Amino acid sequence: MIVDAVTARWAGALYGLAAKQGVLSTVVADVERLGVEFARPEVRRVLQNPRIDAATRRGAVAACLRGAHVLTQNFVGLALDRGREEVLVGLSAAFRRRILLDAGQVEGFVETARPIDPADLARVASDFGRLLGQKLILKNRVVPELIGGARVIAGNRMLDGSVSGRLEGLRRRLQEVQLPG
Amino acid sequence: MELRPAEVTSILEKEIEKYKGETSMQSIGTVLSVGDGVARVYGLDDCVMNELLEFPNGVRGVALNLEEDNVGCVLLGDATKVKEGDTVRSTGRVISVPTGDKLLGRVVNGLGDPIDGKGTLGTTESDLRPIESPAPSVVEREPVKEPLQTGIKAIDAMIPIGRGQRELIIGDRQTGKTALCIDTIINQKTTAGGDPKDPEQVICIYVAVGQKQSTIVDVQRRLEKAGAMPYTIIVAASANDEASLQYLACYAGVAMGERFRDEGRHVVIFYDDLYKQALAYRQVMLLLRRPPGREAFPGDVFNLHSRLLERAAKISRDAPKINPRYKKGGGSITALPIVETQEGDVAAYIPTNVISITDGQIFLESALFNAGIRPAVNAGISVSRVGGSAQISAMKKIAGGLRLGLASYRALAAFAQFGSDLDKATQQELTRGERLTEILKQGQYVPMPVEQQILIIYVANAGRLDDVPARRVPEVEKAYLRAMGEQHPEVAEEIKKTKNVSDAGRAAMDKVIAAVKIQLNTTPSKTAAKA
Repeated sequence: MIVDAVTARWAGALYGLAAKQGVLSTVVADVERLGVEFARPEVRRVLQNPRIDAATRRGAVAACLRGAHVLTQNFVGLALDRGREEVLVGLSAAFRRRILLDAGQVEGFVETARPIDPADLARVASDFGRLLGQKLILKNRVVPELIGGARVIAGNRMLDGSVSGRLEGLRRRLQEVQLPG
Repeated sequence: MELRPAEVTSILEKEIEKYKGETSMQSIGTVLSVGDGVARVYGLDDCVMNELLEFPNGVRGVALNLEEDNVGCVLLGDATKVKEGDTVRSTGRVISVPTGDKLLGRVVNGLGDPIDGKGTLGTTESDLRPIESPAPSVVEREPVKEPLQTGIKAIDAMIPIGRGQRELIIGDRQTGKTALCIDTIINQKTTAGGDPKDPEQVICIYVAVGQKQSTIVDVQRRLEKAGAMPYTIIVAASANDEASLQYLACYAGVAMGERFRDEGRHVVIFYDDLYKQALAYRQVMLLLRRPPGREAFPGDVFNLHSRLLERAAKISRDAPKINPRYKKGGGSITALPIVETQEGDVAAYIPTNVISITDGQIFLESALFNAGIRPAVNAGISVSRVGGSAQISAMKKIAGGLRLGLASYRALAAFAQFGSDLDKATQQELTRGERLTEILKQGQYVPMPVEQQILIIYVANAGRLDDVPARRVPEVEKAYLRAMGEQHPEVAEEIKKTKNVSDAGRAAMDKVIAAVKIQLNTTPSKTAAKA
C-alpha cells in the first residue's frame, strides 16, 4: 500500500514516542483497532466529508477512541485540530510499515501463474530475503498472464523470473537489434 | 534500404538462440498520476537524476524531480498509454544518445532515434553517451585561436568566429538567422572538401528546437543539394514533439559533438533556437511544479543555457595527458546558438542571459533586412569578444577598422538625411560606407572562400571603389573576382597558403581593379565624357 510522506512522518512521531515511553504494544493494539474502525465506510465518510464540521467529526471519532491509550487519544486529537484527517485514514498502514522496518522485514508477493504450496513460498522468501538482506513476509498471488515461472515483488524491488517477463525481455532485445544495412 | 526477409529471420534465430533471459533485480514504482506529459511515480528508491524509466507499452520517461516519496518524470512518448497504478521500472542508465560517424548525414530526434526513413543507425551499445556531461575543465582548454570561416563576408571580416567560441546569433523573426547557419554549414565543405573521414573536415550539427517540420525538411534539402549532409547531423525536435524532447535535443546534439571533439575533430553546433528551448523547459518545469521565477521561467533557466554552452570549447593538445576521455587533443566545439527576439528587444530575459554567457553576438536587424541589406548584420551592436585572434593575418590587416567604420557610417547616414550641407570628410565617409555596405551584401547559399573575401574587401576598404556608383558595385565585384581568378590566381593561392598578402599581391589587386573599372566604364567622369 502507498504511504505518503506526511502520514509516514506522523506515524513515525507516534511510534517513536510510544517506544520511548515503553507503551509500544498498547499503542500498536490501539492503532490496529483504529485502522479497522477508520476503514468502516460510515466513519470514513465523516472524516473525509468537508461539509461535516469539526465538532461532529470529533464526536464520531470519540466513540472509536474509547479505552485507547492517552498517546493515541492525543495523536488523533492533534490530527483533527490540524485538519490532517487523511493521516488517520492511512495511519494503520504507515504504522505497520514502520514496525516492519524496525524489525528488518518487508512485505511482498510471489506472483505465479498457478498457486504454490507454503513450503515453496517459504523457500522463495528465504532465498529472495537473503538477496535483499531483509526478512520477507510473502503472500502468493495468482496471475495467469505470467504463463509460468514466478515474479517476486518486495517493497520497491522486483525479481522477474516469469515466462511473460522473459518474453518481454526478448521482445525488447529484438526491437534493439540492428538490421544489416 | 531493401529489407531481406531471409536476413531478418536469421537475425531472429540468432537472437533467440543466444537469449539467456537473465533475471536481475529491478527497482520498481507505481504511477500515482499522469497528465500533460508528466508522471508522478511512487517508489523507485534508487532512482538517479536523469535516469531513463520504462513505463508499460514501450513508453519511456526521464526522472527529473527526486522528491521524498515520489519521483517526477517527463514522458518521452505517448502519455495516453500510461495510466494510474502502472508499474514503472528503472533502467539503471541515465538518458543517453548514440554518437559517432554513423550519425553523419542523418536526421535524428532528441533521443538519437533516426527519423529520416533511412533505416537504423547501426551504432552499438558502446557508442552511447549520456546527454549530460561535465564541460571541459580549465586545464583541458586552450585559447581560441583558429578561425571558423562562415563564408559570409560581413561576419568573417567584422565579427570573426574562432573554433571553440560561443557566438550568439540574435534577431527578430525573418531576419535570416537560420539562413546564416545553413551558409556556415555549406561553407565548411571548404575545410576538407566535405569528406567526413578527413580529420580536417569540420563536422556540423544542426539542432532544430520547436521548429516547423517543413522548416527542418527545407534545411535538410538545402544541405543535401549543397552536398553538405555527409558531414552534418540534424537533431530535430519539432514543434509537435513533446516539450521534454525539445529541451533535451540541445544536450543530445552536444553529446554527439563531444564524441568527435574527443577524437581531435572540429565541430560546429547550431542551436536553433534557445528561446524555444527555454519555453519548452519552462513548460516541463511548471508541470513538475517547480517554483516559477521571472516571466514564469524556473530559477535554473540561466544554468540550463550556461551548462549547455560551457561544453563548447577549444581543447588543448595536451588534454589526453590530463584526462583519458580525450583520445586526441586539439579538437573543438564551436557553438552558434540562436535566440529569437520580439520586436528587436535584446534586453529581454532570455536574450540577456545568453548574451552574457556567449563570447559575442551577431545582431540581425529587421530594418536592414527590409532595406535589402542581407545578411542584415548590425555592425554597431554585433561583436566578437575573441576578435582578431580568430582571423587569419591577411584578413586582420585588411579588414581592421571595418566594423567601426561601418557602424559610424550607419550612424552618420541616419544623421545626414536631415541636411545636405556636409563637409568633404563626411561626404567621403558616406561614400566609402555606401560601397562597403554594397560589398558586404551577399546572396543566400553562396558562401565565399576567405581568400576571395580578402580580395574584394581590400579594394573596398582601400577606397578603390569610391568612384564606382553604389548600384554598380556588385557588377564590379563579380568582374573583379573573375579577373583576379583568371589573371592573378597566385594571389588567392598565396593567401590560402601563407595566410598573408604580399606587396606584390596588393599591387596585382590594384592593377586588376583599375582595369575592371575601365573595362566596365564605371567611373562617373568617364561615363560623363562618353555621354
